[in-house]
Amino acid sequence: MAGSKTERGVSWEVRANGRHFHQSCRRKSVLCFRWGRYADNVVRSYKYTPLTFLPLNLYEQFQRAANLFFLLIVVLQCVPIIATIPWYSTMLPLLLVLLVRGFKDLATDVGRRRSDAQINHRPCDILTPEGFETVKWKDVRVGDILRIHKDKVIPADLLLLCSTEPHSLCYVETADIDGETNLKFRQALNVTHAELNGDSAKQNLGSFDGIVWCEEPNGNLHSFKGELHWKGERHLLDTDHLLLRGTVLRNTDTAYGLAIYTGSDSKILQNCGRLKLKKTRVEILLNKTVLVILLFMVTTTLLLAVGAGLFEYRVSHQYDVVSVLQRDSSPGYLGFLSFWGYIILLSPSMPMSLYITFEVIHMVHCFLIGRDLEMYWEDNDSPAQARTTTLNEELGQVGHLLSDKTGTLTQNRLLFRQCFIAGHIYGDMAGEFKPPDLSWNRFSCGGTKFSDQRLVDKLRERSSPECQEFFTALALCHTVMSEWRDGLPHYQAASPDEEALVCAARELGWVFLSRTRETLTISEMGLTRNYQLLAILDFTSKRRRMSVLVRDPGGQLKLYCKGADMVVLERLQGNWLLQESTERALELFAQGCLRTLCVAVRSVPETLWTEWSRALSQAGTATGNQDTALEDIYEQMEKDLTLLGVTAIEDRLQEGVPETIASLRRAGVKVWVLTGDKTETAVNVGYACKLMDPDTILIEGEELRQLLESPSPDVRLMSKEKEVWTTRAEKSKAALVISGPELAELTKTPEWGAKFVALSDQCQSVLCCRVTPAQKAEVVEMVRTHSTSITMAIGDGANDVNMIKTAHIGVGLCGVEGSQAVQNADFALAQFSFLRRLLLVHGHWSYYRVCILLRYFLYKTTAFALVHIWYSFYNGFSAQPMYESWFISLYSTMYTSLPIQCTGFFEQDVSAKSCLRWPEIYSVGQKKQLFNPFVLAVTLLYSLYTSIIIFFIPMGILQYSALDFQTLAVTVETSVVLTTTVEVILHTKFWTKWNIAAVVFSLVVFFLSTLALHSARLFTASPKDYFFLGASPNAFSTPEVWLTIFVTTCIAVLPSITIRALGVVLTNPNKHKIHSSKNESVELQRFQRGTFQRRSSYAVSQGKGFGKLITTGVGLHSAAPPKDGRVTADGLKKESSQGSHREMNGDVSC
Amino acid sequence: MRFVGRTSHVCDVYYGRSIRKAEKLIQVRPCGERDRSNRMKNEGETTERPDNTAFTQQRLPAWQPILSAGIIIPGFLLIGLAFIGIGVGLFLTSQTIQVLERDYTGIAKDSPCFSCTIPNTPNCTCEITFALSELFKGPIFFYYGLSNYYQNFRKYGVSKDYNQLTGDTQYFKSPDNFCFPFDYDSKKNPIVPCGAIANSMFNDTFELYQIINGTKKQVPLDGKGISWWTDYNLKYRNPVLVDGSFAKAFNGTVKPINWPKPAYELDLTDQNNNGFLNQDFLVWMRRSALPDFRKLYRRITEGDYSGGLPAGNYSLTVHYNYPVMSFDGKKKVVFSNVSWMGGKNDFLGIAYLVVGSLCVVMSVVMLIVYAKFKFSDDDV
Repeated sequence: MAGSKTERGVSWEVRANGRHFHQSCRRKSVLCFRWGRYADNVVRSYKYTPLTFLPLNLYEQFQRAANLFFLLIVVLQCVPIIATIPWYSTMLPLLLVLLVRGFKDLATDVGRRRSDAQINHRPCDILTPEGFETVKWKDVRVGDILRIHKDKVIPADLLLLCSTEPHSLCYVETADIDGETNLKFRQALNVTHAELNGDSAKQNLGSFDGIVWCEEPNGNLHSFKGELHWKGERHLLDTDHLLLRGTVLRNTDTAYGLAIYTGSDSKILQNCGRLKLKKTRVEILLNKTVLVILLFMVTTTLLLAVGAGLFEYRVSHQYDVVSVLQRDSSPGYLGFLSFWGYIILLSPSMPMSLYITFEVIHMVHCFLIGRDLEMYWEDNDSPAQARTTTLNEELGQVGHLLSDKTGTLTQNRLLFRQCFIAGHIYGDMAGEFKPPDLSWNRFSCGGTKFSDQRLVDKLRERSSPECQEFFTALALCHTVMSEWRDGLPHYQAASPDEEALVCAARELGWVFLSRTRETLTISEMGLTRNYQLLAILDFTSKRRRMSVLVRDPGGQLKLYCKGADMVVLERLQGNWLLQESTERALELFAQGCLRTLCVAVRSVPETLWTEWSRALSQAGTATGNQDTALEDIYEQMEKDLTLLGVTAIEDRLQEGVPETIASLRRAGVKVWVLTGDKTETAVNVGYACKLMDPDTILIEGEELRQLLESPSPDVRLMSKEKEVWTTRAEKSKAALVISGPELAELTKTPEWGAKFVALSDQCQSVLCCRVTPAQKAEVVEMVRTHSTSITMAIGDGANDVNMIKTAHIGVGLCGVEGSQAVQNADFALAQFSFLRRLLLVHGHWSYYRVCILLRYFLYKTTAFALVHIWYSFYNGFSAQPMYESWFISLYSTMYTSLPIQCTGFFEQDVSAKSCLRWPEIYSVGQKKQLFNPFVLAVTLLYSLYTSIIIFFIPMGILQYSALDFQTLAVTVETSVVLTTTVEVILHTKFWTKWNIAAVVFSLVVFFLSTLALHSARLFTASPKDYFFLGASPNAFSTPEVWLTIFVTTCIAVLPSITIRALGVVLTNPNKHKIHSSKNESVELQRFQRGTFQRRSSYAVSQGKGFGKLITTGVGLHSAAPPKDGRVTADGLKKESSQGSHREMNGDVSC
Repeated sequence: MRFVGRTSHVCDVYYGRSIRKAEKLIQVRPCGERDRSNRMKNEGETTERPDNTAFTQQRLPAWQPILSAGIIIPGFLLIGLAFIGIGVGLFLTSQTIQVLERDYTGIAKDSPCFSCTIPNTPNCTCEITFALSELFKGPIFFYYGLSNYYQNFRKYGVSKDYNQLTGDTQYFKSPDNFCFPFDYDSKKNPIVPCGAIANSMFNDTFELYQIINGTKKQVPLDGKGISWWTDYNLKYRNPVLVDGSFAKAFNGTVKPINWPKPAYELDLTDQNNNGFLNQDFLVWMRRSALPDFRKLYRRITEGDYSGGLPAGNYSLTVHYNYPVMSFDGKKKVVFSNVSWMGGKNDFLGIAYLVVGSLCVVMSVVMLIVYAKFKFSDDDV
């Protein structure tokens, strides 16, 4: 038996009410070992426990090469024979770095724990022998039976056993999982529904002893395979029986479920991916640079060691003063010792304190992001926040923005804004919205954004039969279910479009009251009428329309149809009137970025109906290709239509989305939309939010495939493809549209991925529709691998978590839907439009500041340390330090760190206003202009030059005098400090008082502490550590020293000044760039004009609609018509049957 | 590196009063529903609204120097001219300084000190003569110079015991490890002062005579104050006298191996110049930066020669003790007078002249470039 179960892939055993059974196999873990089978329902996104913090954090920190290197140096410094400088000069900065970093990690982890605890402590009801008991989420175990109330979040993956709804149906909102806000229904197995439901549900459930065998936990949200063994029978389970963790129960009073996967086993958490340490590209390059410096250092050290060996071999043996000191060792051994001595001596060229400065700068930038008033959203009181504090400069380099649609670009509110009836356009887009007086309508709930008094008047006066017919069509032709609350109908629709249309009809007096399997009850301006529902010709994405066939109270048969303009218009009766004005209206609606649907009617003769219904029932029973058969039959009915009108629905965008996207596009950011929603919706939104220009061509499906399928798999043949490409889209713009299944194929063949990304670079945008969360992440991964740019993912729901984690930078919107995205994001924003400021201002500044900082740091440390190399040639390669050891430890931490930090905090190469006005400035970061191998090479060469100057000029001058080593040391030290300070002054363009203070302070500190360290007081305390007694007072009172310092500094900074001066001289006379960017802003307005493509579509769920539910009559209990006696007998009959049904369920919701 | 619009923001208005300290830097501020529930929205104080300060809004008042060609080109020219001025001054000053150098190593067979280079010639003396055609203006500094001598060799440099040299007798018994192998003699007696530097102290001595009509008139050499004030007064201290005897303070120690006499006998005539405070010792202990160096030996400031050395013939008697031949070292004596800027140093003046001329050249180049660009700009 077990073997066969494994074969069937169902090896995961869940015993209902079997807490003890599952308890024994609970998954436990200590450090990295874990055993047991069933995870508990605790979310653990934290990294450390009190026990593991120290080792784990140190392990992580020492993974950073620089830290490890310095640890090695400290160890080396403890070996007296090679200790060229005392141990504290490295140990102190290293400790500081480790402490600061460790503290930061701890704080972040505590924050994570806190947010975990919040989720883990949510309440839920589980069944215990004593009845239902409220426990915390974290206490839910596999095998528990849970009771979920309406509007509650489901705490684990549950097998739906029964619900209070008829047929144990229940509705869930999966917005947090796949981004779709329309409701999905789930239905329990008939057997559990029949056996467990009823008045004694509690007892029934308590004695339920079924065993579920299902597949091992996996991340596939749309499939589930399992079987329920109960009472000796086997029942197959699929995804329709499953309530996923994170979904919200809607429209269902109570549902009972059996926990199958809990905690980390649940599908959504399996989809979450692991917490990864993100490194910025700049940091990676920095690490490489540090590696290069290290290699350079080791090579140099090797050469110097060889020098030391040679010196020993050639010179030292004759030179008894020295050779005695060498203790008669061989030149080779001495060279070996001097190798390590030089490693220690040159180690300051590794910018260790850079990492800590880097971190501090990042933290300050994050703080400033969080404190920016212009990224603060008053409505839900949320400022922006930077949750990961290491990615700031990456914000200035984003090349690809991958955005979720629902809730990110759109508000996910569809509004009926305009309509076209009988040659007139009603509703006004431009003017101020004045809510029309709808007090006459007792069913009005408000909430529409449609206002046109003319239409309202016409409807009330009943002066326009076209208008009446139009709204009758809207009230009838849909698959919406109604629910009565507070005496008002509330609608539940599979498609938000339909809901918007039905709501609009309701507001204007055509109220859809209720439906049964065979009737539709509507109230037409207060007059309740009953229509007999004969057939629903349901929507499919291929048909792009839906129709209902009804018999009106007058006995006439009518087909109401609504659908995309293309499909409806071609099915109209021959010479229809108003063709021109309809076209114009469609054009107008398209310009307003409204989604249109055409509504049409057809009077169906009785004979046609009988004939057709026979064909329909035949098709229904026919085996084989049922769908196409049905389509053909539907086709026969949906013809010779008469156009009633056109609806225009606005998919409300978030505030400022088009402007933001236009700005980002100008900044050179490629914006991709990844959505679980269907293609038509995504395309429509794409146009609406200026992602694509109105004349942009869409490349999708087969065409895209052909482009990708080049004759040779070699990606280098792109040029050939480009030809194909240019012929196709010459002088026009294009966007790629790809759907989930196509994408799956694409990601399977890696070379296609590369081509796709290359192709997308020439397009305005890419829309990926109907993609799963995992696919979103795959797309991000694809962009990451095949392009060199930084990817940023933005989303608001749990379905975006994976992509947010995969992208270089993840941004979460703290919107209405949960906080999963924010929890996993690197940055959290309240509005999509804040992205503009985050990237263009904060990102750009951060990038600029960080690059300046890094370059300067590399410069100052290498220039400082390389001096030792030059000095070696004059001291017999004996690893004699050029500086006092105190200077070495204080140089980077005290004397030169503050000014550059201030620059790192405050520097603004351009003001925020200019950053926003000229988004083109942003390309500096995308092109990595400020920090790339070339710039780094120049920086390092310049520091090499500086080190040469700083050593040889003082040496050349002082060799003619009787000044000693300590005087030379002080001279070189002062020259180094002055040179690096002048350099930072040259770097700073934005002088706040803090910058000035920092420069002055650093210099004062240098002179004072040098004098103090060379003072008698410290010498008497510890002669060995402060043996530079008197060196600086003596040197500073020698004019020769000052003259030397001055000229050395001047020569050292002369190239830097000259290049800057040349830059000014070259750029100042022509301000072309500014002018050109002004021109472009003019161009921006142009894309308001031009030809508009009509967009007509219908947004429905990618799953099945409610059509089948209605026709099968399942789940129609809430169709409660008003009990004011204005219902026809037919309706009453149905009502009573439904009512009895309801009583049976013990439901008193009405 | 130049940005679009870099000059456009000069007039941006920055305002703001207080800087809020970035104390709450590491703060995980959750957003979203969770914390909105426990926040009272009506009370303004619990809101997350960021403060409107100049710092947090990055509106700190700032000075943004915008340089233009009109400032830079004359600036370069002026700086260049200033440097040239200083350079000329320094160079001319350097030219006025008189220097007299004599190598007395004795490598050449005909050189006066050749005989002393033969090993095992104790108390060898040789005589170097020179003639001055004009007055050598005083005060004159008398240096000895060594070349190819690595006083800056690291192990040599650390081979001394600072504690010992502060006169702390407890370190007399146990010299620092760094002094090895000059810490104990073969009989395990501690050496004071220990270490290689002290052991290798320069011990040639000189006497200068003016030859007037065949007779030698000794030129008085002033050995006072030739070391650093801090060395003499702070860094080096003699041990406290034991029983009124300086020598007894050194009891139980031995002299450095190469020294002819112990430290307490360096200058028996002047107690203030004896022991660790001996000026020659102090000068030697301040090690040189480079392998070719000179150290101050004496000054000529006294008697008939306070105004300098008059023209005439001179003879320098060298008590040749210090061996340098083994490592191709050279020894020399240098007489020099000084100016306000120190000794003769042409390099300094030249450095200034070079920088100055570079600046001037650059300003000319920039002027040409600027003119060209402006011209082409007008064309457009």
